Amino acid sequence: MKSATTASATAPGDVTSFSLGLALPLGVVFAIFFVLPLAQLFYLSLHNDTAATVWGLGQYIKFLSDPFSLAVLGSTLLLGAEVTLACLVLGYPIAWLYQRSGSRVQTLIIMIVLLPLLTSVVVRTFAWIVILGRQGIINSVLQSLGLIGTPLRMIYTQGGLIAALAQVQMPLMVLPLITAIGRIDPNLADASASLGAGSWRTFVKVMLPLSMPGIIAGCTLTYAAAITAFITQSLIGGGQMLFMPMYLYQQASTLQNWPFAAAISIIFLFAVLAIVALFSMLGRRARGYGDAR
Amino acid sequence: MMLDRRRLLTSALTLGAMHAFPGLSLAQARPLVFATFTGSWEEAHKAVLVPAFRKANADAAIVLDPMLSVDQIAKVNAAKANPPIDVMLHDPGPALVAIGQDLVEPFPADKSAYFKDLIPEAQDAMGPAPFFQVVGLTFNPETVKTPPTSWADLWKPEFKGKVGITNLNSTLGTGWLVEIARMRGGSEANVDEGFKALEELKPNLAAVAANPGALATLFQQGQIDISPGNFNAIQILKARGVPVEFVAPKEGAIAFKTTIHIVKNSPNKELAFKLIEAALSPEVQTALMNPPYLIVPTNTKVAMTGEIAKVLAKDTAELKKKFVFQDWKKINEQRASWIEKFNRDIKI
Repeated sequence: MKSATTASATAPGDVTSFSLGLALPLGVVFAIFFVLPLAQLFYLSLHNDTAATVWGLGQYIKFLSDPFSLAVLGSTLLLGAEVTLACLVLGYPIAWLYQRSGSRVQTLIIMIVLLPLLTSVVVRTFAWIVILGRQGIINSVLQSLGLIGTPLRMIYTQGGLIAALAQVQMPLMVLPLITAIGRIDPNLADASASLGAGSWRTFVKVMLPLSMPGIIAGCTLTYAAAITAFITQSLIGGGQMLFMPMYLYQQASTLQNWPFAAAISIIFLFAVLAIVALFSMLGRRARGYGDAR
Repeated sequence: MMLDRRRLLTSALTLGAMHAFPGLSLAQARPLVFATFTGSWEEAHKAVLVPAFRKANADAAIVLDPMLSVDQIAKVNAAKANPPIDVMLHDPGPALVAIGQDLVEPFPADKSAYFKDLIPEAQDAMGPAPFFQVVGLTFNPETVKTPPTSWADLWKPEFKGKVGITNLNSTLGTGWLVEIARMRGGSEANVDEGFKALEELKPNLAAVAANPGALATLFQQGQIDISPGNFNAIQILKARGVPVEFVAPKEGAIAFKTTIHIVKNSPNKELAFKLIEAALSPEVQTALMNPPYLIVPTNTKVAMTGEIAKVLAKDTAELKKKFVFQDWKKINEQRASWIEKFNRDIKI
């Protein structure tokens, strides 16, 4: 009897260890190609000189005590927030529309949402140069309508960059939203309406909280993609708008100052991790919300 | 029992990895690896230099592995004892970095048939310069009716909101800053005047591109009408029908040596030397000078013709008079602080 208990007690344990065993190959790959280089990066960042011979926290002190570097970090995190907000405001109605449409329109919407993913980021970004340029589509339309005399400067501005990044990253926001909104029982909206709530109240009190997991997932993905989008940032933002990826590139590539570049990466990594942690904390609270029905 | 299986799998993977690594690191007879630059460089080298090298060396195996200078340095640095590259190609800044990090073998100049024919500026003991890159003024002839003649023309009020420059990440951007500093009495050791000039240029600036390649896009889109630019990049744009012209400013066009180096500890030193010889030979340099490549030769035996003779220089004597060479050793000393200053001050 006793041995039987032991067997049944170990059985669930066996299941766990077996699944861990299956995860081992990927785990090893991660360990060799992700954890190890990351450790190396951290090791490198703990040196005060370019040749990485003198130990010290000099690079971190240099970054964290320099208002300019902190401003670069701040403007990068802000850029991410602006792009994420733009994606959310523009993407939510599309996801909403998707759930309220017939299957033919749904196919069309999903095609439009996925289409950008089928072309490379470089191509999408160049398209934005053509759209926003002095002789681009927007300027020539506005000029031919007589609304503006001289072309507007849109490329190499913060506004232009946000528009381009929002379009480039939009699928990352819309796809989780479509899934989340699709899981909401449509009867809930009817119930809310029959209990006397207006459509706005229904949206704020019922739909928005229930779609929160999708919002959180979409925001996390969009945010992480927007702040690290080196190509779009440098092609649309130009050479005078400095964000963390370009700052890093400058130090590592042009100046060969690897320890400082490593310190920048680690600081950037932790700043992003903090924001992702914030998102997932909000996500956990939102899940509680959703289950409470 | 489960633990054993897990351990077994781990050991198997470790063994497999260990098996794979010696295979990778074994210095086997591999083809000569030449790290050229990407884009038009790769095209030119594939079409002209490689066939010439193979013809002279009994069809020796050669692989082009195009990448940026910094990547070349990083790759060689990661495996100094058994480098994956035999021949490197560098702009002046990175060349000094590579030499400083002891990644480069001295060029056996006394063995070379062509080294002594190169112009003196190209005769570098750590690796000769087979090509020049030339930076001058580029402009859109459709909107700029009187061609510019001087760097100072960029400050003219008529170019308000029309001027493009690049930041100091590129050789072009940094070299240009030194030149405008020199125009106002500065030098490689002191570019303060250059930064003052940049401050005054702000009303005219339409764009600060992140790299010289982006300038080409800005010309195509009509975003800028005039900028400092690379002679070869302009030829490519022109060939595609973009209205753009190149002039050498009267202060002198900036000439960057592109140097070619034998990598230290290369298993193919002899072939590497032969490839460099081919790159220095008048035959290859003449072929590369002709359209569509238009690469400025450094061998004095090459007679300059065509577009290069028309726009840049007819012979070596004129070339030396019209080109400005910069001291990149001095520039590298302070480049970090200039980049920092540029980051902070140049916002438009």
